[in-house]
Amino acid sequence: MHDIYNFVSGTLVWVSFILFTGGCVYRFVSMAALAKKKDPVIYEYMSLRYALRSIFHWIIPFGSENMKMHPVFTIVTFAFHICLIFVPLFLFAHIILIKESWNISWWFLSDSIADVMTLIVVGSCIYFLVRRITQPEVKFLTSISDYLILAVVAAPFITGFWTYHQFPGHKFVGIIHILSGEIMLVAIPFTRLSHMIFFAFTRGYMGSEFGAIRHAKDW
Amino acid sequence: MKKKSWILYSIAVTAVAVVVVTAYSQENVKYVQDSAFKTKMRPGAVFLHDEHNEKAEIDDCGTCHHLYKDGVKIEDETSEDMECSECHKINGNPVPLVAKYHLRCKGCHEEKKAGPVMCSECHVK
Amino acid sequence: MAEPAVNNTKQITDEGIVRGASKLTPEKIERVINSVLKAETGARLKTYVDICVHCGLCSEACHFYLSHDNDPRFSPAGKVKQTIWEILNRKGKVDAEFIKRAAEIASTECNLCRRCAMYCPFGIDIAYLLITMRRICHKLGVTPQYIQDTAHSHSATINQMWVKDDEWIDSLMWQEDEARGEIPNLRIPLEKEGAEIYYSVIGPEPKFRAQLIYQAAVIMNASGVDWTMPATPGWDNSDMCMFTGDFEMMARLKKIHFESAARLKVKKIVMGECGHAFRSVYDVGNRALGWKMPPIPVVHSIEFFYELIRDGKIKIAKKYEKPVTFNDPCNMVRGRGLHEMGRFVTNATCEKLIEMHPNREHNYCCSAGGGVINCGPPYKKTRVDGNRIKAEQLFAAKARGAKTIIAPCHNCHGGLEDIVHHYGLDMDIKFLGDIIYETMEKPE
Ligand code: HEM
Ligand code: SF4
Ligand code: SF4
Ligand code: SF4
Repeated sequence: MHDIYNFVSGTLVWVSFILFTGGCVYRFVSMAALAKKKDPVIYEYMSLRYALRSIFHWIIPFGSENMKMHPVFTIVTFAFHICLIFVPLFLFAHIILIKESWNISWWFLSDSIADVMTLIVVGSCIYFLVRRITQPEVKFLTSISDYLILAVVAAPFITGFWTYHQFPGHKFVGIIHILSGEIMLVAIPFTRLSHMIFFAFTRGYMGSEFGAIRHAKDW
Repeated sequence: MKKKSWILYSIAVTAVAVVVVTAYSQENVKYVQDSAFKTKMRPGAVFLHDEHNEKAEIDDCGTCHHLYKDGVKIEDETSEDMECSECHKINGNPVPLVAKYHLRCKGCHEEKKAGPVMCSECHVK
Repeated sequence: MAEPAVNNTKQITDEGIVRGASKLTPEKIERVINSVLKAETGARLKTYVDICVHCGLCSEACHFYLSHDNDPRFSPAGKVKQTIWEILNRKGKVDAEFIKRAAEIASTECNLCRRCAMYCPFGIDIAYLLITMRRICHKLGVTPQYIQDTAHSHSATINQMWVKDDEWIDSLMWQEDEARGEIPNLRIPLEKEGAEIYYSVIGPEPKFRAQLIYQAAVIMNASGVDWTMPATPGWDNSDMCMFTGDFEMMARLKKIHFESAARLKVKKIVMGECGHAFRSVYDVGNRALGWKMPPIPVVHSIEFFYELIRDGKIKIAKKYEKPVTFNDPCNMVRGRGLHEMGRFVTNATCEKLIEMHPNREHNYCCSAGGGVINCGPPYKKTRVDGNRIKAEQLFAAKARGAKTIIAPCHNCHGGLEDIVHHYGLDMDIKFLGDIIYETMEKPE
């Protein structure tokens, strides 16, 4: 048990952090280099002002026409993304682990709030799943990988909730929790989850084209 | 009729026994506690003081109940009569103190490859 | 329930597609696809494909999707799935049947109207992905026949309609003559060096709608601006090559257009009421030539009319009486933000403007643009069936009193005419130029 725990909470943490940050940097740098070589227009037409203007409209809830057309989806996706990012970064237990290892710490959420936020993430994943299965326009675009990605994202939250509440098998699930968190982290740069890295750039580029060249809004 | 009163009797005896045992075992620590923690995020860590030390073969109280002066550990002096938070002050942020506790318990467990290391192993509900 | 769309089950009969595809071999397909992907695409294509989370939120942006009872095959990402995703997944190993269908999807079931870029949370440019598919089809020689014919005309005559050089000059002189009946001193100044304005039109104007040149001449003369038109190739600002994926030819066309304006040392190019031509001159063709912005300022008629009226160079004698509604053309609105100017001109010339919904940047495309109407009769049904939503949008405006549709774009005109006719809308369609001509004070 100790060996497994030490491995997943020691070596693998390092491996996943390195793959995550290295992967993000690599994806970003290689894309920037590719753009320089093949799509220099991006550099020419990217405008900070209009990029920010567009991003702004798309990161505030109901900031775009499309969000207003899908209120339930909008609420779910915002709740999902906020909880998804806040819970792992500000969970008390995570903060303590980081404090123990590197002697740094920051603000944290109370466990009861984190508990609710975890349920929001899991619930949102279920919503996304149901949507994928029942809505024809989403189903048509769906491949196995979409289900896998949803599973990869939901897993750390489900297992975290499980160990926290000490449901049966919680020790084993605890190990799976750490492992699945690491998998999710590594998956970010190398799957569709890389939208985290590129969102600002694709949105910003479209915002720049619409704003600076076409004098129109894109939200 | 007979059967029912027998059941009631058993329940009463068990209840008394539980109360008595709990009261007596205050002597032997069962949970890690520190009055500095005002709101508890999790149940206190299960810790049977004597059993633990017997099993872990710790004779020197100063292993855990250490005492430092100017950053130097004072050998031969211990601090059983104090709470950790008397030195490891909490100042509104519990994180450093929690980390100290963890390093003391879990740090040793990891080093010795014995004893619990995962959250739910100590903070049992 | 979504019933299968007609053109998804029907046999592909377009001569250009069928004959082009009959010459394909699997090796050629693979080689061409991979050469285009490797040589011409890069970070944009890769990022767009990598990060699309398959959420389907772009669906309701597309009139094809909405008009086919939400059939997912017509959603923007759905069309990319059937084209670009598939060729990427299969690394170019697709057969001729696939290419035929892909050509049809990319060329006739998407107007490159860019509405979906405003609905995808990531701003994924579906139009770019589908024009890349057209580009591949172009290189494979599989392009719908009618639009390919206009592209051939572009390369042979530098205009879209096989208009010969002398016919062009004749048409201008003919219209000048006609207009002199109304305004005796009217001139269409040809080849005037140093004029302030170079007026350019699309090929179909001298060919089918010479009346528009007449009206433009009246407006120019009445407002007293210093203008000219070229007597040489370059007069046609239209560009079907941009839509067939023949980017080399597109660049050539724009080069000749800009050079003819540069030769006349004009201050700016003003262009007739055409959407796609503006896109080509202002946004796409100039880039192909390496100009970030057009080398000579380009002004669309909407903006030009706006300035004339704002500056009092044109006075309105009597406003147009019938209530009008304004169809925002994608290329002028999502492409240049001229919606408020369009409304300014409309309000200055018409008694009553009744908005259709959605409008401005969010207006639905007419389903004619992006080269779709130029794919000709074989795809008229695709286009008209594919825009039932436009008919509904217009019926709603009509119910609120609108009688005339103002559409300051040639393609919109053609597309809306077919829609009005097919769905029995019974509404007039006008250019802004038509209305101004009708309502303005004319010089004696
Ligand atoms: C921090 C920047 C991020 C931004 C701006 C962002 C933005 C978006 C957007 C715009 C969508 C499109 C559809 C929707 O609104 O749900 C989306 C979907 C999604 N995001 Fe993110 N995201 C970010 C980070 C992440 C991360 C870190 C993860 C997971 C590790 C994630 C997981 C997902 C998932 C699973 C979906 C798909 C939902 C579905 O299946 O429909 N996102 N995100
Ligand atoms: S027609 Fe317009 S909305 Fe539909 S896919 Fe093409 S660009 Fe997008
Ligand atoms: S293109 Fe955009 S909106 Fe459409 S499915 Fe992909 S991510 Fe979603
Ligand atoms: S024809 Fe008009 S509405 Fe249609 S794509 Fe062009 S500009 Fe848009």
